[in-house]
Amino acid sequence: MIAAYVLALRLGRWGIAGFGAVAFVFTLVQTVGFYKIAGRTEAERQAFGRSMSVLASQFTVIIPPPVRPDTVGGYVQWRAFGFLAILFAIWALASASGATRGDEERGIVQALLANGLLRPTMIAARITAFATGAIVAALAAGAGLLVGVASGGETFSTVLALEAAVAAAVLGVCCYSLTLLFAQLTSARNSTAFAGVILLALFLINSLSRTFDALVPWRWLSPFHYYEQSSPLVPGGTLDMRATLVLLGIAIAAAVLAALAFRYRDVGSPLITLPAATTRASYETSRSPVWQVPVVRDLYERRVSLLVWTAGLSALGAIFVVLTKSIVKPLLAIPELAPYFAIFINGNIYASFLGFIWFGFAQLLMAGFAITQVARWTAEDSDGRLELVLSNPISRARVVVERLIALALGALIIAAVSGAAVGLESHYQSIDLSSRRLAEASLLFVPFTLVFGTIGALLASRIPRATVGILGAFAFASYLTVQLGPIFKLPVWVQDISAFKLYGQPLSSGVDQTGLVVMLVIVIAGLMASAMVMERRDIGA
Amino acid sequence: MDVAAIQTSKLSKNYGLGRGLFDLDLHVEAQEVFGFLGPNGAGKSTTIRCLMGLIRPTAGSAHIFGLDCIRDYVAVKRKVGYVPGEMPQFGSLRGSEVVAYLGALRGGVDLKVVRALAERFNLDLSRRYREYSSGNKQKLAIVLAFMHRPQLLILDEPTSGLDPLNQQEFFGLLSEARKDGATVFLSSHILSEVERMCDRVGIIRSGRLVTIADLDELHSIRFHRVELEFAPGTDAPVKAIRSAAGVEDVVASDHFVKCIVRGSFEPLLDALRGTTVTNLVSHEPNLEEIFLEYYRETAPTKAMTP
Repeated sequence: MIAAYVLALRLGRWGIAGFGAVAFVFTLVQTVGFYKIAGRTEAERQAFGRSMSVLASQFTVIIPPPVRPDTVGGYVQWRAFGFLAILFAIWALASASGATRGDEERGIVQALLANGLLRPTMIAARITAFATGAIVAALAAGAGLLVGVASGGETFSTVLALEAAVAAAVLGVCCYSLTLLFAQLTSARNSTAFAGVILLALFLINSLSRTFDALVPWRWLSPFHYYEQSSPLVPGGTLDMRATLVLLGIAIAAAVLAALAFRYRDVGSPLITLPAATTRASYETSRSPVWQVPVVRDLYERRVSLLVWTAGLSALGAIFVVLTKSIVKPLLAIPELAPYFAIFINGNIYASFLGFIWFGFAQLLMAGFAITQVARWTAEDSDGRLELVLSNPISRARVVVERLIALALGALIIAAVSGAAVGLESHYQSIDLSSRRLAEASLLFVPFTLVFGTIGALLASRIPRATVGILGAFAFASYLTVQLGPIFKLPVWVQDISAFKLYGQPLSSGVDQTGLVVMLVIVIAGLMASAMVMERRDIGA
Repeated sequence: MDVAAIQTSKLSKNYGLGRGLFDLDLHVEAQEVFGFLGPNGAGKSTTIRCLMGLIRPTAGSAHIFGLDCIRDYVAVKRKVGYVPGEMPQFGSLRGSEVVAYLGALRGGVDLKVVRALAERFNLDLSRRYREYSSGNKQKLAIVLAFMHRPQLLILDEPTSGLDPLNQQEFFGLLSEARKDGATVFLSSHILSEVERMCDRVGIIRSGRLVTIADLDELHSIRFHRVELEFAPGTDAPVKAIRSAAGVEDVVASDHFVKCIVRGSFEPLLDALRGTTVTNLVSHEPNLEEIFLEYYRETAPTKAMTP
């Protein structure tokens, strides 16, 4: 058990380090942000709290409304620990599906079982290891709060910060156990999607019940409902022991059921398998023309993920447009928020709002798209696929160029379709958007994505194992710099480093020619450097 | 004068701490089947990756049909079919799609050849790659290496994962390729495999070429550990066994005899004539044991390399 626990910890160490760092930075930034924008006097903070309550009422679909956002505890409980619940759920989903079915595909599970480890013991070791990691990350979040409060010259109860950390960690463990259970039921290939859909449904049952009364009777099903019963950071709030124990109970029950399911299923197969249709063996090569065309074959191979990215961004874009008026109108009625909006908004209020909120968020998603493609390249390099590709008479530079063209075309498809969705929905919502600027803003995603792609290609050639982590950290830091730079009054040169700054505000201000040129220079220089490094590097060594 | 299929000169790839490949001089003639024998970690795959232009040597040079493996790597690949040491992941692609994908990268692949190869190995190309067993993945690697009828086949442990019947089929395929004029560079750590197929064998250990042996020398290197059990109450013919040609290290205990047989079994079987052998077990030692024995035999003349 101890050895299995240590191995599970070792396999998940980067996740623990990464999510711990993100949790710390996130709560720290929110806490410091509170002192920057909430003011110092009681009156200023109460006014700020009222503004935030109005603002938050538009986002109750995602996170619960704040309680006492005029206090640092109430604000951080809402802004940081509200989102950390989502973050911990995503981490639990990725970690648990990787620990069960992913490790089966890699042969790790088979190796452990062959060495005498019992299946229930393996499940217990994995859950214990994740619980350890979740506690570490949650404590990091609590530490971020305490450090942030100290930077504001105030003090905060360590016990309350610990209670908030406990609540977040228990929710993470609960989601982890549930994913372990759901992952037993499907094929390895579909386990993450299956568990993800169920977790999303459980999340939405709770969050949408705040808007739709019909869902209220069902929210007892959702772990997120129990998490929200605790609000230890809010003045007078506590860690709800009953709700926390319910979460623990769900976690234990799901773990026991997962262990039972694991015991009765074949390794590599779901608990229930449907008989496969008998087909005759074929010895023919695929005659589909897509395999004959460079770049097209790469896009075709990843068509499902491209479709998901395109549909996801289009749907999100349309939702942002739908919400725009209902969010902006009440906010404009608050005089205290005028200086806050003056930082971001010029000209057409709705275009500015969409440009800042939606296109800002979409940039983060496009960076995420680029990072997933770079992760694929590093996987191809390390698992031997690149070696096999290069055993054919093609140049290494061609591999780099084809990868980047495929990335550019993928980004173009996503940008074009999501841009069209935003344009159409804006028309229905009677929001006046310039078609030319919307097209420019959408098309600008292509060079923006390529900036991350070329940097990723270069990193993948030199330090493949660290590439995704570095690129992800760069994207996250860039995003925070642009989103929070004006609020924190960061130096201009710091904000200029951000890749997101290069994109600018094309929807409201038109294309930033300088930013576009800099992006193109980065792309061309990155492409040439990547091709040169690729020509000289060792493959498969 | 014909150009050598493979020519390396002082080829080295130094990974530090004594690991890598050092001063490899090889000359493989066109249409030769050359075995490259060495235990795991000896430097076989490093050599092959240098030949394929996948890694850059720290010193020396490698040429295939006169083309520099690094400078002219694209032209080299046109002449080469390659079976890697390990097949990569192709996820949810079907076997037919993997062939189409890599065939399109190469160009000029005859689909009839692909079909014939797949049929020969009974490889169902309609199945998804992730559903393939390790043996089927290896069959696919063989199809990919042979599908364009290359002039040179570079094969890194090509029979690993294949069952005995498919190994036979593979050796048959190799013989046909040879008859058609192909050169073969076959890496392996199984002595009997290279002994069966190859004209000459290069033996590598700890990154250095120990020797290049022809078939006669290879036979002399090879030995078997034999355990004999005689019927209880009968005398084991220990004296006759000790005096049999090629039989060494005879250890007798009661009605059990252990010995080493080098070369043919005929002298030992002659020595056993007229006795009642109730059990005979023969083990082929692994390559490391063979090397240790080889070095023990030749220690005065051949220095042990690091």
